[in-house]
Amino acid sequence: MILGLSFVLIGLAVLFSTLRLLKGPSTFDRLLAADTLAIITTALLVLMASYFSRIIYMDVALVYSVLGFAGVVVVARYLEGGL
Amino acid sequence: MLYLLAFLVVVMLIAGIAVIVVKDILSAVILTTVISLVVSVIFLFIASPDVAITEAAIGAALTTVVFVIAIKRTRSKETTDKE
Repeated sequence: MILGLSFVLIGLAVLFSTLRLLKGPSTFDRLLAADTLAIITTALLVLMASYFSRIIYMDVALVYSVLGFAGVVVVARYLEGGL
Repeated sequence: MLYLLAFLVVVMLIAGIAVIVVKDILSAVILTTVISLVVSVIFLFIASPDVAITEAAIGAALTTVVFVIAIKRTRSKETTDKE
C-alpha cells in the first residue's frame, strides 16, 4: 500500500520535472531539471530494490548516485566558461 | 507496476523527440542524459541489473563528458552562443 503510493508520488515528480525539462527557456533550467530527475530516479531505484526484494538493485542506485553528478558538473563548468 | 513502466517509456519518447526539436545543442546533450537515465530504469524493470549498471555508468558520466568536450572543441563562428 505504502509502496504503491510511493510509486505514484515518484511518477508525479517525474512528470513535473519532465515538464520543466521540456518547457525550460534557458539551458540552466534544463540542466537543473535533469539533475532533479537523476535524484528522483535514484530514489525510484532504491524503492524498486525494496519492492522486488533484491539487493543487487541497490548497486545500480549506488553507481548512479556516485557517477550521476559528474555530467551535471561538466555541463555547469562549461556554462561557466572553464573546462 | 506496469503503468509506471509505460509512463517511463512515454517520458523517454518525449525526451527523444525533444532532442530532435530543440534548437540549443547543449540542451540536446542534457536531454540525451535524461534518455539514458530512463533507459537504465527500464533495464532494471526487465530484470537485468548488470546492463543497468553499465548503462548508468556510461550514459551518466562518459557520454556527457565526451559530448561537452566535443562541443567545446568545435564551436564554430556562425552558431552564436545564446541561451
